[in-house]
Amino acid sequence: MATETAAAAQDATEVDNIVICRDVHKWFGDFHALRGVTTSVRRGEVVVIIGPSGSGKSTFIRTINRLEQHQQGDIIVDGVEMTDDVRNVDAIRREVGMVFQSFNLFPHLTVLRNITLAPTKVRKLPQADAEAGARELLERVGIPEQAEKYPGELSGGQQQRVAIARALAMQPKIMLFDEPTSALDPEMIKEVLEVMKELAASQQMTIVAVTHELGFAREVADRIVMFDEGQIVEDLPPSDFFNNPRNERVRRFLSQIL
Amino acid sequence: MATADTWQPAPSLPAPRSERGWIGWARANLFANWLSGLVTVVTVPLIAWVLWRIVAWVFGTADWTLIASRPQQYLIGLYPTELAWRPLAGWLLVSILFGMAAAMWGGAARRIAIGYGAITLLLGILPYGMFHEGVVMPGWIRALIVANLLTMAVGYALGRSSHWGRPRTFVVGGIAIYVVLLVLLTGLPGMEQVPPRQWGGLMLNLILAVSGIFFAFPIGVLLALGRRSALPVVKILCVVFIEVFRGVPLITLLFMSQVLVPLALPENFPVDSVTRAAITITLFSAAYTAENIRGGLQGLHPGQAEAARALGLPGWQVTSLILLPQAIRNVIPAIVGQFIALFKDTSLVYIVGMLDILEMGRSIVQGNVQFADNGRELFIFVAVVFWIFTYTMSYVSRRVERHLGVGVR
Repeated sequence: MATETAAAAQDATEVDNIVICRDVHKWFGDFHALRGVTTSVRRGEVVVIIGPSGSGKSTFIRTINRLEQHQQGDIIVDGVEMTDDVRNVDAIRREVGMVFQSFNLFPHLTVLRNITLAPTKVRKLPQADAEAGARELLERVGIPEQAEKYPGELSGGQQQRVAIARALAMQPKIMLFDEPTSALDPEMIKEVLEVMKELAASQQMTIVAVTHELGFAREVADRIVMFDEGQIVEDLPPSDFFNNPRNERVRRFLSQIL
Repeated sequence: MATADTWQPAPSLPAPRSERGWIGWARANLFANWLSGLVTVVTVPLIAWVLWRIVAWVFGTADWTLIASRPQQYLIGLYPTELAWRPLAGWLLVSILFGMAAAMWGGAARRIAIGYGAITLLLGILPYGMFHEGVVMPGWIRALIVANLLTMAVGYALGRSSHWGRPRTFVVGGIAIYVVLLVLLTGLPGMEQVPPRQWGGLMLNLILAVSGIFFAFPIGVLLALGRRSALPVVKILCVVFIEVFRGVPLITLLFMSQVLVPLALPENFPVDSVTRAAITITLFSAAYTAENIRGGLQGLHPGQAEAARALGLPGWQVTSLILLPQAIRNVIPAIVGQFIALFKDTSLVYIVGMLDILEMGRSIVQGNVQFADNGRELFIFVAVVFWIFTYTMSYVSRRVERHLGVGVR
């Protein structure tokens, strides 16, 4: 009976938690980049990851869709365990959208084709349906008039908004943001953050974002996770994180960037 | 001074007068300082004098009988005269493609088609003998050459029609025409056979170059991908292939192909020496193309592959839809340079006893006492012919680059 309850509880967390990481380790050569990361993300939760550069925060979110391969520990995304099996990896990537620091739009394709490529090739959506969806998404990120242009003709902020639309076009359950505003000019950061806030407010979407935008973190995050030296040093709701950080390392970090 | 609420940007003014117009240009570029002025004063008369000497030689001293008396041999080598209708018929088919291209793409394609049509017309109507000195070119040959303008018109009409004027039709039609041309030149069963050994002249150079480019490109792409493969056996095979073919001179490879390839094939396997040479040239070029494309792949931001993978695209689509199109676009100049080299290298088939345009001409000079002093005219003629083709290739490359916006997007 007791074990059944435990199993049920386990199932409940599996259903509840869309990302589960247990003791994840990652080495680059001899460099120990992730040193036993254990955490989970609930459905619809907005988690902001901060930390000094080289702390492993980017590496960590890149393991969630296997752009980096972890060498030890378990990662379970939407009930699928991340293994060497290509089918598992592809299944996970279909459900996980990612937005990069350097946008990584495909420069040889129009904005519209950037967005419709994966839905038509991976989800096998008819081109017309994919285009209708793409135009809706462009509307949502505020640049419907740029559909026929090439990425090189857009500003950085517009490009990043296209990148968000491209990721959303696959209708992912989770969105990963890897420093989405770090390569932008100051006046363009706001327009990208607005799109991210709108996304966070929709409640449907699970978001894991690495960012240095503390204002954004304070406003929309459910939890703030701080990384240092490949480990999680703190994991608190924003109010506690900013107002009464227990950890000395967090206080030092905040004093350096605020 | 503008106040905060009425601030206006300063007006954009025209550039100083001295920097505009041809006087401004000459001052900036030819007479910027006394040294530059001195160089201009010395070199301009020198260039004029050299140009004058060239013009005087071309239209005065030079004796072009060597060229004018036997265009047939420069065009098709020793292909049997009584069967000359076969290459001429093939030529008519090829002209369809030029017409189509002009209609479909306009711009550069149209300009090339006009130049092509003009040269064809000149070949048809200029007063020279088509066979040997003193033999007047038969009217039917002239008629067949001039008829190319008609097939160009047919191609133009096809290119304009919404049903036929598609890139896919053009490519499929081009391949079909090329195969028909080769079959026609060899002869269908029952017709008199003309083995490739007897092909020659510019026709041979072009056939070798077109086949070479057509096959070297896809083979090069596969080799480049193979060299980056995660599978060690594939990778090693590709590296060895590329390094062997890049590391050995083409002439050596051509000799080896004649001696070594038969060893690897069953006895009496029907691969003649020309085909062997064509395969060698193709593989040689493929090895270089592979390295160019690999360079293009290496130059891409790693984020491109990451973004494509993160979207869930399978590996082969990441390569074929995202990486290769960008890599190839970035190395078009290098690839076209390689293909220009391939075209020029087709002359090396003289090594296996083939009479391409250069060797054909050389044998005419050396085999005829009356032309013994005309080597200069011959080599200039051959050089100009090669240059027309290679320059066209680099012109097309530049237009394609501009069209694709290399360096802009």
